[in-house]
Amino acid sequence: MPSRLFKKPALAAGFIALLGVCNQALAHNPMCECKAVEDGQIRCTGGFSDGSGAPGVTLDVIGYDETILVPGKLGADSTLTFKRPDSEFYVLFDAGPGHIVEIDQADIEAP
Amino acid sequence: MSKAVAAQPSTTLGRWWHKWRFHINVLLLLVPLGFMPKYFADASLFRGDSGLGEREIGIVQVGPWSLKLAEFRNEAPRPDGPAGYMKSFNAALCDTCIDQVKAAYLRIGKPRSLRAAGVIFFGTPYRMGATMPIPDRTKADAELWITLEGWDGSMHQASIPLSQASPATVAWLAQRGTK
Repeated sequence: MPSRLFKKPALAAGFIALLGVCNQALAHNPMCECKAVEDGQIRCTGGFSDGSGAPGVTLDVIGYDETILVPGKLGADSTLTFKRPDSEFYVLFDAGPGHIVEIDQADIEAP
Repeated sequence: MSKAVAAQPSTTLGRWWHKWRFHINVLLLLVPLGFMPKYFADASLFRGDSGLGEREIGIVQVGPWSLKLAEFRNEAPRPDGPAGYMKSFNAALCDTCIDQVKAAYLRIGKPRSLRAAGVIFFGTPYRMGATMPIPDRTKADAELWITLEGWDGSMHQASIPLSQASPATVAWLAQRGTK
């Protein structure tokens, strides 16, 4: 007995159309997001674009004069919370040479 | 002998399908043919048979060294989920500097430090690749900075206008408007 699929032209056409909907998903680029939270603190969350987290990855807060203000590592939940420095700074998520994300203080969202 | 007769579909399309449903499967064999030109073009691009990339930018002099740079695909940046829009470039180091250059980096805008020099090129020095994020606030007159780090600890930098490196990206920026 022929399968039900071939009794329904629309269903068969749908399956054929689906064959063309395969897309690429390859890279795992680093990403980092920082938000201002309560009490003048900033919370940064790191990760990779394939959905994996980044526990233990270095995240430094660096002044415009290149001094490291807050040397840190992301916790088990891939986040790090630190007090907003008084001077101008940027956040550097550093998963290794060439695998970095820079976030300037101007790009940190207010709560 | 069984006298059972299957009920005939009532609509025209139904009857046509019922009659031809097995024969038209042959047409499925033709489907892959439509994808062949793109398949072979991609295979040639990935192997390097059609050059360093879809659009060669030219040779960029970086201090004592130089590299040949190309856009991997001559198209606007592609989205990569929450990491934002990404653009891929390929590069080949000059023959004499292959032994001297330890790493090559790419970034939009002048790097603050070697640590923040941007994305790193990986692969053979004859054909390296890097996928660079395009920040939301990139302006049309932005510059693409190339940083080369030598085994001797030296660092050399050069920049070219983004409009020269990737007209497709500049057109894409203009279309979506500067944020």
